[in-house]
Amino acid sequence: MITVEHLTRRFGTVTAVEDLSFHLERGEVVGFLGPNGAGKTTTLRILAGYLPATSGRAEVAGLDVLRRSLDVRERIGYLPESVPLYREHRVEEMLAFQARLHGMPRREWRRRVPEVLARVGIDERRRSLIGHLSRGQRQRVGIAVALLPAPEVLLLDEPTSGLDPLQRMEMRGLLGELARDHTVLLSSHILPEIEAVCPRVIILNRGRMAADGTPEALVRQLGHATHVRLEALVGADIDAALHTLAGLGGVDRVVDDGPRGLHRSFRILCEQDLREQVGVLAAERGWALRELSWYRPTLEQIFARIALDMDAEERAGRASTTAAPVVAAAGVKAGPGARQAAQAEREERR
Amino acid sequence: MRGTWTIYRRELAGLFLGPLAWVLLGLALCVNGFFFTLYLVGTQGDVNATMMLAQGGSRSFWGLLILMPPLITMRLISEESRTGTLEFLLTAPVSDLAVVLGKLMAATSLLALLWSSILVYAGTLSVLGPAPDWGPVLTSLLGAALLSALFCAIGLMASAGTGTPLLAAFLAFVANVALLSLPFLPGLLGLGPEHLLTRALAEMDVIAHFQASFLVGVLDSRHLLFFLVWTAFFALVATRLLEARRWRG
Repeated sequence: MITVEHLTRRFGTVTAVEDLSFHLERGEVVGFLGPNGAGKTTTLRILAGYLPATSGRAEVAGLDVLRRSLDVRERIGYLPESVPLYREHRVEEMLAFQARLHGMPRREWRRRVPEVLARVGIDERRRSLIGHLSRGQRQRVGIAVALLPAPEVLLLDEPTSGLDPLQRMEMRGLLGELARDHTVLLSSHILPEIEAVCPRVIILNRGRMAADGTPEALVRQLGHATHVRLEALVGADIDAALHTLAGLGGVDRVVDDGPRGLHRSFRILCEQDLREQVGVLAAERGWALRELSWYRPTLEQIFARIALDMDAEERAGRASTTAAPVVAAAGVKAGPGARQAAQAEREERR
Repeated sequence: MRGTWTIYRRELAGLFLGPLAWVLLGLALCVNGFFFTLYLVGTQGDVNATMMLAQGGSRSFWGLLILMPPLITMRLISEESRTGTLEFLLTAPVSDLAVVLGKLMAATSLLALLWSSILVYAGTLSVLGPAPDWGPVLTSLLGAALLSALFCAIGLMASAGTGTPLLAAFLAFVANVALLSLPFLPGLLGLGPEHLLTRALAEMDVIAHFQASFLVGVLDSRHLLFFLVWTAFFALVATRLLEARRWRG
């Protein structure tokens, strides 16, 4: 339904999107993730026919977005992040305008307007001036406007930004519903939302594709941080303990995190949850356990990893073995603040 | 063209839903009415001379004509670009030209409404005294509408090319003044009446084109075409500038 091949878009000397390629089947629901400035909006704008690409190709429903722009625009429901609506008009009028722009027959849109308004849950405000609506209500009207011509493809740019938690939850429900009968590409940096709604996620970073797959697959592929954490009294011979742990089936590597008081802390890197095996081993050896837990990075942590380019740093050998807690700290919120905090933390560790 | 009419209706509604159009209309009507009375007294009741002065034979008319269109058109594109609704329009299944034409027609309609106040003056005169010659009244109204379209196209061009409404209005105003002053240029340069530039710029004399035909009640295709072609030209430039916005992003 959507095909993007080697898409590049430059603004002067700034490259917003670079050599991006992906494909969406009909009916797929894909989440576009990435920090601010990663190129999500630019890509959506190119697909919506608002921006031309510098090079590369984009197709919607088999039509080139540049050459068959008007045909493509007829098939797309696009909601920009700014939720552009004429504030001086009433909700109904805005929808009527959209219907006329799409050349819908009057009889049809008369029937559909109450339908889509009910669907987004704002039918009681249809006579209200758009300027008088709250941010969340405008967001719904924006979605109603995008939905009205019954487009095959929905492009939603940050549909939940600026909503309160309750509205966000409702929006998530609505997005889930929409996913049933549209091909949807939506961008967000609210990760739980994407995880809840999208079976597939594309992560962009600095205009490039950083990852593409189901959230679980991404966690598996990019995680390489699933581990069992063990804190125990292992006696004086640390090397022997390390060796014993590494000898367990399914263990990739064991990292010694140093003493925690009398206890010693280990990270046992493994793909499968090996808590039971480690527990049995500890019982056999008579180690007094204080902690035995299973760590699996969330999509948020992976996102933060990509956004902060931690993998690259790790490859460069700069990050210490204690990089994992940094990821966890940054994963709470991948905003610029978190970024600074994480950076400061890393500086400290060095 | 598909969508032009829809956009025209939206724009016209948008203009009248804001305060600016009402304020401008009110002020312009006051000015117009004031000068009309002045001309009526000044010509000692010559109704036809008064009508001609009120609709194209005087400075008040041309003053309004170079002031009003920039103020009406300034927001049409640059403001929409700022509020983001331009993104909505430019991703709707209508061409950029349809967007520009719809906006041009809306701005022109607003000004045509202003100029149609001449009908009230002429009607009042017919009821209260000697009726003016209706032929020139109607052709000058048509001419004023065409002139407005020309100046609105220039205004849209400025609005499409700039980021802020105020700058757009200022640029359009300067362009309007420049267009009307073109015929004076050879005189300033000291060129004779036979010089090529003089003759070429005489063809660009907007005021002469208007006064030679519409004002005196003559519908001449040559003058009609002059206005239509130049309006189309500026509308096309505005469309290109709108397109350029996409490239700039």
